[in-house]
Amino acid sequence: MKGSPKHRNSLLVAGAVLIGIVVLAAVVSFFWTPFSPVFTDVRNPAAPPGRGGHLLGTDRLGRDTLTWLMVGAQTTLKVGVIAVGIAAVVGTPIGILAGMTRRRWSEVIMRANDVLLAFPALLVALILAAKYGASITSSMVAIGIASVPGFVRVIRAGTIQVMGTDYVQAARIAGLRGPAIAVRHVLPNVFGLIIVQVSVAYAIAILAEAALSFLGLGAPPSVPSWGRMLNEAQSMLSVQPMIAVWPGLAIAVAVLGLNLLGDGLRDRFDPRMITRQVRP
Amino acid sequence: MFRTPSLRRAGLVTAALALLLTACSAGSTAEPSGTQPSATQPSATQPTGTQGSAAPTTAPADPSETDPASPSSTPAPASDAALAVGFVLAPESLDFTQVDGAAIPQALLVNVYEGLVKVDDNGTIVPALAKSWTVSPDRKTYTFQLQEGVRFSNGDPFTAEDAVFSINRVKTDWKISVKAKMDIVAKAVAVSDTELTVTLKRPSNNWLYDMTSRVGAMFSTDGVADLADKPIGTGPYVFVSYTPGDRMVLERNDGYWGTPPAVKTVTLRYFKDPNAMNNALLTGDIQVISSVQTPESISQFSDTSRFQVIDGTSTGEVLLTLNNGSGATADLKVRQAISYALDRKAILDIAWSGYGTLIGSHEAPTDPWFTDLSGAYPFDPEKAKELLKEAGKENLTLRLTLPPVPYATAAAPLIISQLADVGITVKDTAVTFDTWIQQVLINADYDMTIINHVEPRDLATLWGDPTYYTRYDNPEVQRLLVAGDEGTPEQQVTDYRKVVQILSDDAASVWLWSFPNLVVAAADVRGLAQNAVSESFDLTTLSVG
Repeated sequence: MKGSPKHRNSLLVAGAVLIGIVVLAAVVSFFWTPFSPVFTDVRNPAAPPGRGGHLLGTDRLGRDTLTWLMVGAQTTLKVGVIAVGIAAVVGTPIGILAGMTRRRWSEVIMRANDVLLAFPALLVALILAAKYGASITSSMVAIGIASVPGFVRVIRAGTIQVMGTDYVQAARIAGLRGPAIAVRHVLPNVFGLIIVQVSVAYAIAILAEAALSFLGLGAPPSVPSWGRMLNEAQSMLSVQPMIAVWPGLAIAVAVLGLNLLGDGLRDRFDPRMITRQVRP
Repeated sequence: MFRTPSLRRAGLVTAALALLLTACSAGSTAEPSGTQPSATQPSATQPTGTQGSAAPTTAPADPSETDPASPSSTPAPASDAALAVGFVLAPESLDFTQVDGAAIPQALLVNVYEGLVKVDDNGTIVPALAKSWTVSPDRKTYTFQLQEGVRFSNGDPFTAEDAVFSINRVKTDWKISVKAKMDIVAKAVAVSDTELTVTLKRPSNNWLYDMTSRVGAMFSTDGVADLADKPIGTGPYVFVSYTPGDRMVLERNDGYWGTPPAVKTVTLRYFKDPNAMNNALLTGDIQVISSVQTPESISQFSDTSRFQVIDGTSTGEVLLTLNNGSGATADLKVRQAISYALDRKAILDIAWSGYGTLIGSHEAPTDPWFTDLSGAYPFDPEKAKELLKEAGKENLTLRLTLPPVPYATAAAPLIISQLADVGITVKDTAVTFDTWIQQVLINADYDMTIINHVEPRDLATLWGDPTYYTRYDNPEVQRLLVAGDEGTPEQQVTDYRKVVQILSDDAASVWLWSFPNLVVAAADVRGLAQNAVSESFDLTTLSVG
């Protein structure tokens, strides 16, 4: 399924470049943006690219799209780190545990997981907002918590598969204990799954952040985020579709970059791949 | 010049809520419980009129010479037609006596429940269940002659006893904040089956107007057991079913005492997302959008062979409310500076696509006391900077607390940008509707906020009560408001005019624009009201073809 090591390496590089662009935009936006993020150009609302000095045009309120994309990259990275980070860090060990323990415990974990799955992210966000005030961080935490069950399910399925393999049986017979098997055999083998799940959860989190902000549970209107841009562009689709294209493109770049990066990393670290590579 | 349409007040709110929709019950909080609702509830509006130059002619509450409702247009004949109307704000319950929320009276008032009086498209009070009425010379006692042969949908006849029951029940059993409007009633007496007298504690121009709103709805003495599920009224439509959050079905009342409506079945469809509602109209799932929440995309309905756009007025005023009681905005110079700093025309043109009217004080263009004060604070950033300097507030930071409504989210970035130009840093926070009610409306813990005050004639609510969230305390204004309510209608116009002038001089807030009544419908739908004049979305005049 994979090509030469060189090909795999190029995936890694492509992913790193795309994510690098996002990071660079975020970093640069701390020091410089074409316009102030709060500036609204009332003479050029919904401007097409190029008009009035707006390289990528403006949104319907006259805010510079390039500026918003750059500053929005900060928000996007925050989303990735907080929301997806929580989901991966919490969900992965639970998923592995559920896949490795005896049937009864596994059932308990999964049913609890189902309950969480049925619990709307919005409710979590409301509770957090009530307790700690609405902010981009509390909405991210809420989305992170809501994304945990997805990880648990996927990782558990992968774990069960790994647990049935000969080498795990061999490791058991050799007297290796549970935690060691989890770290040495299971984790590396489900890494690919984690990456896939991360990129899925990431895309969802970006949009969820926009939805929560819209409800007053996330960032205020003056804080740029790609999800919000996309959300607000909806009603302008029939008038100036480019307004939706830019943030859509930015989200696509970030998600694709993450996917490629993840694929590349997995190939680097996947023991099976390495074996295959070494074998003539 | 830009067009000045207006939209149903509920609309905005609804829109906003709609989006939210998912969010919990926010969807139906249109009217904050326990507080003065004026902010969100779509209520009756009032006179329509020509923009800008409202004719302060007749004070609406001049009942002695009411003539029978003059049908402005000949009603269409009853047909088997069906219509679906899109809304964004869904009722939480069907009982508006117990649950606040704009969506309930919007669906049921006038259509299922009727009052003794109602407002016509011009905001004038006209007869409904009362054929006529007279007012005593001391202006405290109203004598109503009721329609005969009226039956409730459960078969009970409507008599003066029911009217007394309904009026008294507001004080004894209602739970929502607007019930206070009936506090002024001293007693209601059924003289005969068709004659009712109501005595007020003091003369009031506003009471009869209030009777056109939900507090004036007439209930059957033994039809109130299950209002939350089974509304029973005398209206031209009877309630059939409600699927919460999705749709409500109303059917023509075949035993209706008045002119039967032309459309047999009306389905009220509730959408969580305004864009979804737009699409439903484009694809023919619904025939009417009761209030447009995305005026920027109205061009998708520009094909006049398929659609019509109704662009009238409402009584909603969109305010950048300034906290007059505390913080830097308690300083008159700061408030005036903010007023000068904002280019309100640009804000209206961009945030709401120019739909609406610029106003300069707390008044709808159709209020009898309307005076055009929109030029009182022309856009002048230099003057704003000077005033801030005089006030010693050159490096000012203000909080802007935003409820989740589309007009606020759209206007806020423009306001923040323009205030930044004169040196005011704005920290905006988006909050949920419930939080907004608690924090802003109840606790007045804010510097600035944006909200559409939709209630008609809500001058006294906002500016006559120093404990209201505006924290505006001006004894002269309070005196004028009471004198105006108690005086003759002419006196009311004179006094209220003074009030709006004082409010403008005090820069008590920034009045961003008067909200439009913006409705889009399929081209063959007829009888849509030009202006939003009441809490209700009047279905009774609609016809198809």
